[in-house]
Amino acid sequence: MERKTVSTCPFCGVGCGIVLHTRDDRITWVDDDPGNPSSRGMLCVKGRFGIPFVQHPDRLTTPLVRRDGELQPASWDDALDIVAERLLEYRGAFGSFASAKATNEDAFVQQKFVRLVMGTNNIDHCTRLCHSPSVEAMLVQLGSGATSNSYIDYEEASCLVVVGCDPDSNHPVIASRMRKAVDDYGTKLVVVNPKRIDLAERADVFLQPAPGTDVALFNGMARAILDDGLEDREFIAARTEGFEAWRAVVIERTVEEYAQACGVDPHALRLAARLYARPPARRGLPADERPGSCLAWGMGITQHTHGTDNAHALINLALLAGQLGRPGCGISPLRGQNNVQGCGDAGCIPDSLPGYQPYRDDVAARFEEAWNAGIPREPGIKATDMVERIATGEIRAMYIVGENPLLSEPNLAHAGDLFRRLEFLVVQDLFLHETAELADVVLPACSFAEKDGTFTNSERRVQRVRQAVPRVGQSRPDWEIICDLARRMAPRVGVDLGQFAYRSPAEIFAEMARLTPQLRGISYEQLDREGGIQWPCPSADHPGTRFLYAESFPRGRGRFVPVRQATPAAELPDADYPLILNTGRVLYHWHGGTLTRRVQALMDQVSEVPVTIHPGDAERLGIADGDEVVVRSRRGRLTGRAVVTDAVRTGSVFVPFVKLRESAANFLTNNAYDEPSRIPEYKVCAVRVEKKRPWDAALTGGWPTASRDK
Amino acid sequence: MKVDGRTAPETGSILDAVLALGIHLPHLCKDDNLPPIGACRTCLVEADGRVVAACHTPAAGVSEVLTASERVARLRREVLRLTSRMHGREPDVAGGPRSGEIWAAYEEHGLERPAFPRRIRDGTDATSPFFEFEEQACILCGRCVTACQQLQHIGAIGIAGTATSARVTPGAGATFASSICTACGSCVAACPTHALRPKPMSDPAQAGRSRRRGNGTEDR
Repeated sequence: MERKTVSTCPFCGVGCGIVLHTRDDRITWVDDDPGNPSSRGMLCVKGRFGIPFVQHPDRLTTPLVRRDGELQPASWDDALDIVAERLLEYRGAFGSFASAKATNEDAFVQQKFVRLVMGTNNIDHCTRLCHSPSVEAMLVQLGSGATSNSYIDYEEASCLVVVGCDPDSNHPVIASRMRKAVDDYGTKLVVVNPKRIDLAERADVFLQPAPGTDVALFNGMARAILDDGLEDREFIAARTEGFEAWRAVVIERTVEEYAQACGVDPHALRLAARLYARPPARRGLPADERPGSCLAWGMGITQHTHGTDNAHALINLALLAGQLGRPGCGISPLRGQNNVQGCGDAGCIPDSLPGYQPYRDDVAARFEEAWNAGIPREPGIKATDMVERIATGEIRAMYIVGENPLLSEPNLAHAGDLFRRLEFLVVQDLFLHETAELADVVLPACSFAEKDGTFTNSERRVQRVRQAVPRVGQSRPDWEIICDLARRMAPRVGVDLGQFAYRSPAEIFAEMARLTPQLRGISYEQLDREGGIQWPCPSADHPGTRFLYAESFPRGRGRFVPVRQATPAAELPDADYPLILNTGRVLYHWHGGTLTRRVQALMDQVSEVPVTIHPGDAERLGIADGDEVVVRSRRGRLTGRAVVTDAVRTGSVFVPFVKLRESAANFLTNNAYDEPSRIPEYKVCAVRVEKKRPWDAALTGGWPTASRDK
Repeated sequence: MKVDGRTAPETGSILDAVLALGIHLPHLCKDDNLPPIGACRTCLVEADGRVVAACHTPAAGVSEVLTASERVARLRREVLRLTSRMHGREPDVAGGPRSGEIWAAYEEHGLERPAFPRRIRDGTDATSPFFEFEEQACILCGRCVTACQQLQHIGAIGIAGTATSARVTPGAGATFASSICTACGSCVAACPTHALRPKPMSDPAQAGRSRRRGNGTEDR
């Protein structure tokens, strides 16, 4: 039988509408959905051709329990009884990772389990590794940590400033919408990236700063705006605070000094600043509208030991130019995973309750009343710290849902050492990945195509996910597994069984909406009738919100935060490791590759780790395009294939963090952290590149701990 | 405005009005999701006595549209007959893109499906791991070009040459694998003849799936 199921793409944070065509319960074709307002009929290669991972034979089909040192198949009852019994021992020394690939409903149930049954706020997810500095900075300066605009604003902007991200690889449909703006409306485009990304071809200004010098760059743009008198004085006076103190810091240096610090042309820096602050009107802009500018950024800003400073410097620019709260402008941290926005909204973060509500007595009391039990009011431990604190014994057991930290944490050899010291590890996922292989119990979860629920995309749009194919093997949706587990444990910790007796995802969503002001007006009924809705949506008759901050900021006034350029990075090149490693992604793979390695066509396209290197460096090292190369850092090594191109700066190499042929960039990266957000510095570390010699076979992995500093 | 005697909205094109009423009308070069090209002429209708292509004629100002008068039905049949001379046999298609509507249009207009390849253009480009292009099934409608350029703003595909030497190509004589194509698949979804079509997925998960002929999703 043939069926078509309207759903939402499970890859990046754009949240494209997809239509899954199935025949006899097999997925045969993935179509675009022209009616979806986020994607408007567009898809990228992963959404269109990358879905076959769903029904791959590698899928976990039964629970696995470690017996005599081996993971062996077990019944659900046996596996969950073991997990329930063991986890009760570790209340107080427990942490949990939620999945930004699972649904809002899965996430909500998981944080409820962790807070209510395990009695801790030690829950976090991959936002810690991608946009925690952005959220941290936005909360301090504006009072909300979400993208302020919609994708339609990229098409209605008169200038787009795209910083530290590569939408062509990571958010391809957003890249298409940005290209449409440039091609059809003459929108100005400023690209800031140490790597010459594809979008730079269409840019009016392309700035290629030295890695780690972002604060100098944005302070330089601010100084240029002040020099030209292009700041929005009315906006600054009416909507912001802290301007004078911030200004005093910015004018400590001249535009020329800033430009020199980051290795860019001062004229280009001034032009970029002018275009952002006062762009010429795009074609078709109504005469009474002020030309707007959108600021979009990615991991190039955040994944630094001063990631939060970088984000502050960017948001200061938006406040200075008054490019907030109107159509065609706004600030966008582009989200990496399909539901990273929703996972945070649902409360899978250690520092706040669902809906980013603080652990204040009145807020906590509402949750305690609804859940009929006490919840902890101390902020929990952040994801990267949970891993580091395995060493101190503060974390002795973990429950990891839909994440693979042994590919995504920095310095994998170090992370692997720590995970092996856990006393009890539960992993719930689709595949037996690197982290699952170390688990005591592995629970098979359903993919997005086998369950109902909602995802929330980068433009705050809550969209439906619908079941298209039967569950694979004995796999179950995450929420169902966690409820089953919670019911085994609840009576022992004084929690009502009824708190985990949901019959459907719709019931879970209804509870989440009741407890979360920004979602209060959204229901499955409305989503099924009208399609996706953008929060805040405070009441059932509210149409949703296209852009934030039209009248005010959640914290009242927007706050300027002065920042100065710190040391570019925790580890800089030296004689032994003379090159700077930058990491990121490629279009044809998804993050660590756990899903996309199971799609043959994607593997046919990219099967080895590409190591991008500048022709000057390549020549000096005797490396030709296509050579096998070995990249070493103080922490590990990998083997990849050289791509020689001047798209990267002299002295730097770019390696995506997908694991191919056992090689992964995170064997090399540095577990140094940004203090406020605890994000690791994935974007800068020192490496050495050599042509692979015949006797270098299979050189991949971390150095043995003892020899790590040699 | 009346369409075949029924009242229809006057916003957008005549084709929009016709489709809104649920009337079948071929429109091989017009994707529901893309602006009109007006190339294939398979959507000819009579509008106040004039024969026009419905896809790019605004509905405003038109009072009566006939989609099935003897005159336009005969003209459309002849256009489709000429179209069928542009391509060879119906390609084998696994999977189920939404398009492939040319075969339904032939049936509705009482035309035989062409039984042998004409081989005006007979190249095959199977260099992409994701999809393949079989030129002999191409009718040069340009929908793939529009999808690539105006929907995705990539511009990897164009039409090179003129008259009988015209052909769809990713760059001058280039292959899809060597072009700037990012394999988003919008051209595959748009193609009305399955000249562009997904490759049978070679994953073990997809093995053993039956291949079937022709008309994508309509074929149950």
